[in-house]
Amino acid sequence: MISLIDAPSDTPLRIVDIHGGHGFRRRFFALGFHKNNLIELDSKSIMRGPVLVRNISNGTSLAIGRGVAQKIWVEIVGEQK
Amino acid sequence: MANKNKYPVVVFIGQPNCGKSTLFNAVAGLKAETSNFPGTSVKHTHSKVNYGGRIFNIIDLPGTYSLNPSDPAEKVALTHLFSEKPDLVINVVDASILGRSLEFTLELIELGYPMVIALNMTDLAEKKGIETDIKKLERLLGVAVVPTVAYHGRGIKELLEAAFHCLDEGGCAAHKRWSRDVENKIQEMMHNLPRDFPVVGNPRFTAIKMIEAENLLFNEFLQELRPDLKKRLDKVRKDLEDMHNAPAYEVIAAERHHLAMKIFEESSTVKRGAKRALLERMDDLIMHPILGYFILLGVLVGFFLVIFKIGSPLEEILLEPVGQLREFLSSTLGSGFLFYVVDGLIQGVGGGIAIVLPFFVPLIFIMSFLEDVGYLARAGFLMDNFMHGIGLHGKSVSPFILGFGCNVPAIVSTRILESRRDRVITSLLIPFIPCSARTTIILALVAFYLGPMWAFGFYVFNMLLIGLLGRVMSFFYKEPSPGLILEIPSLKLPSLKNMIQKTYFQLKSFMLFAWPILIVGSIVLGLLQFFQIDGVINTVLAPLVEKGLGLPRETGVTLIFGFLRKELSLVMMLQALGVSYHDLMTVVSREQILVFTVFVSFFIPCLSTVAIIWKELGARIAFLSIALNVTVAVTLSMLVRLVI
Repeated sequence: MISLIDAPSDTPLRIVDIHGGHGFRRRFFALGFHKNNLIELDSKSIMRGPVLVRNISNGTSLAIGRGVAQKIWVEIVGEQK
Repeated sequence: MANKNKYPVVVFIGQPNCGKSTLFNAVAGLKAETSNFPGTSVKHTHSKVNYGGRIFNIIDLPGTYSLNPSDPAEKVALTHLFSEKPDLVINVVDASILGRSLEFTLELIELGYPMVIALNMTDLAEKKGIETDIKKLERLLGVAVVPTVAYHGRGIKELLEAAFHCLDEGGCAAHKRWSRDVENKIQEMMHNLPRDFPVVGNPRFTAIKMIEAENLLFNEFLQELRPDLKKRLDKVRKDLEDMHNAPAYEVIAAERHHLAMKIFEESSTVKRGAKRALLERMDDLIMHPILGYFILLGVLVGFFLVIFKIGSPLEEILLEPVGQLREFLSSTLGSGFLFYVVDGLIQGVGGGIAIVLPFFVPLIFIMSFLEDVGYLARAGFLMDNFMHGIGLHGKSVSPFILGFGCNVPAIVSTRILESRRDRVITSLLIPFIPCSARTTIILALVAFYLGPMWAFGFYVFNMLLIGLLGRVMSFFYKEPSPGLILEIPSLKLPSLKNMIQKTYFQLKSFMLFAWPILIVGSIVLGLLQFFQIDGVINTVLAPLVEKGLGLPRETGVTLIFGFLRKELSLVMMLQALGVSYHDLMTVVSREQILVFTVFVSFFIPCLSTVAIIWKELGARIAFLSIALNVTVAVTLSMLVRLVI
């Protein structure tokens, strides 16, 4: 299990858990990011800037800050495209 | 649920970017505002519509992802939904992301209001390789589903027919059963609700929302009033947590998610590997870590060029009649009291038409283009880095860009920011962003007399100042900003109809709100001149103006009361100095022009900005904003005077 920020880009990942306060976690649930969803980190993230996360399960994508990405824990479930 | 007024009330509700306002506009004509940046129609709009002889009220609510609000815009949607008890809910759903949209749809079904689903953007879904069997979806949800493409106005008739059918039949969908163990817990909670307990929607919905409610206020409130019920609630939550080792609200969110995915998979087929649309490939360029910034720079430079290429000539053309009218007026009315009042009125009205509008309209039009296409959300992504430097994040970019045109709509658009801290800091910084009026002054004075490089330098200085102020402010607002969580909607082709409607709508709210204040301020200034109070004020301000800023005494009124008519500060200065624009240099030195511009740029922007901050964030923040602007303007202009 690794934090999203350390995960390789363009590789299918499974959300294991979302840390942080309940307001923060609920925001992700409302945006359709739940445990066991398949997501991918887009390679377009900028040096220290936000990362772009594509939710393969429901076809949406989010731009999230690095601090936010550190709170999302994933495991790799496929090889890099 | 017969509604008090005789026309049924129909509410359009859906997740941001599902095309709700476009659909609303298609049904209602020129009413709502649409955009591709999450949370733009942050105000809700009403419209009375007549279709096939039947009259009904339709209301467009701000986009919300769920029935648990997380930012002020979502709160507007929910307070309205619950307080107004609409006769019918039209849940607008983005067919291209059906899986996620259904989570909110299921929550609405739990609420139990009569409902119809507008499956919107079915054309976009097809491009993405998603085919949905409408009949099957209807059976699974127990709610009428009407495919629409609001952008082209397709499916509107069928939607309204389905809406009327539902209105006449009444009745609502049976709630969808969740997995057994969770369902039992909800039944347990439901049966323990005392008879006189306030029920929203229906007992089951109320029970679910109680279990989900995490905010302390509700729990304390319940503890106070109904300790036995609170004990029951804690037990139910505990059981749920033990079953799924996750907090109760997460268990319920997961239930909805699984049910939504099941319904999505049963009703739709997704052709994987559909070729990546052109727009998606463009996205790789727009958000490219290096190329993206060049494009962003190009967009911003283009943004200004177009505004000033259209704005300046238009301004000259429109100023002509205003000037002639005033000359005609002064010859006929002489210089009595009436003249000053009417002259103030004309300057206020004329100022609005001749100076603000030529820049305001193109700005809002281009902004609506950037929003419609989805570029603003991407600008937020690209700019997030810089915004962190000043203690904010990417979502404040859209209000900042709007601020370059006019601070008033920019302050309103801060409603999309979840945390009050972000909203207050962004709103305190916006008055420092040079609006079109101040940009005209910078161009007319600094660029013209000191040269374009000075004007460019002034802009860079202005941005650095905003950055510095941001850092200082985030020092006072200790709690960290929650960080960027911004949905990036799919790039869409802009619709000219939408852009025109949005510009019209923004223009109307400007006319109704900011323009009257501009006119009143202008008349007040006229009266000051009539009663020669301006002479008195100039002497009172002389120590500051002459000693502190090294400016001619006559500019006192212009500096301090400029915010009553910011667009006319330049004109007022020329009048005060009794000199025409071209031979300004005979009276004033280059340094003095710079000091004047610094002061006018960072002083209180205009009455309407202060009024909108007061309305949106309360009096304390409004006064804080005034104090901030005044101190920065005075100290900076003194500093500039010493330095150069």
